[in-house]
Amino acid sequence: MIETRWFNLIIIGLLCGLFIYVAEDIPPFGDPEAPTIKYVELFQLELTDIEGIGENSIPSRLIQKLKERGFPPITRIETTSRTQNEWNAFISKEEPYYPKEEKYYFLRKEGNLLKVYRYAFVVRWIEKGLKETAVPNMVTYGLADYRGYDTLGETTVIFTAGVSVILLLRRKGRL
Amino acid sequence: MNEKERDVIVETVSRVMIPFIQLYALYVIIHGSGGPGGGFQGGVVFASSFILYVIAFNLAGGRKRFPESANTLFSSLGLYIYGGIGLLAILFTRGMAQYLNYGFIPFTSHFEENRALGMDFVEMGIGITVMAIIASIFFDLAQREEPVGEKEEK
Repeated sequence: MIETRWFNLIIIGLLCGLFIYVAEDIPPFGDPEAPTIKYVELFQLELTDIEGIGENSIPSRLIQKLKERGFPPITRIETTSRTQNEWNAFISKEEPYYPKEEKYYFLRKEGNLLKVYRYAFVVRWIEKGLKETAVPNMVTYGLADYRGYDTLGETTVIFTAGVSVILLLRRKGRL
Repeated sequence: MNEKERDVIVETVSRVMIPFIQLYALYVIIHGSGGPGGGFQGGVVFASSFILYVIAFNLAGGRKRFPESANTLFSSLGLYIYGGIGLLAILFTRGMAQYLNYGFIPFTSHFEENRALGMDFVEMGIGITVMAIIASIFFDLAQREEPVGEKEEK
């Protein structure tokens, strides 16, 4: 009996250590520049005339590579305000009632390599949400507007659970 | 619950607390778009006031305050509000906009304000349904077995 107790204590201690390690390993909450939530690397290109990239000129090899990978084409490139070696690339979406361009790619120059990243959906969620819905709470416009179908389904699940309990307990299985 | 088991302190405190709990639940539902809160949380807080009433007083009194017919009505009313708001977007644009696209419902003249107001109504619908369903489940679980009903089954 005593051995079991010590064994349980050791297991609990190990679990606590694991949780503390995991909690320490999480990227800082709310950090907008944390790479794991911001963008994913797609591929990298070796460009010789990398200086030609700018506001109006998009390298033809980049367009070709995006086309053969099946990614949407770039319509506009903009320099980010932080450094000279990073660009934001926009695409024009084909949503019928939102004919707006969206920030989609992130380009960075390292030596003579051009690394191409794709922004996560979270970036659009954070940057455009207040402008599009006039609601300051990020969770609410996600729950009720962007994922409205999902919430309708969740409410239906709750309704179905209540009706099942009524059927089983109040009416005792009689239909 | 018998008459002997009644407690004056518990009854008085809950009689004072229940209106404030319900007011707080309405606050949480209405302020879902501005601060923390929303339909699910507010609905559960509202239902907890019924649970407190039943614990402090008795089940029959709780059923009298929130009758079975109203309970069934409210549990489907919230879903009807949600689905109806979604359908209004289709009706007002004659099939142009998608289902649940609140921006096209002409509450105001601004697209973004329409979306915010549509979200508020949807949260109210969620709150009503969650409140009624949680209360319904609680009342069904708290009910004692009625001997009359068992005789009917045999």
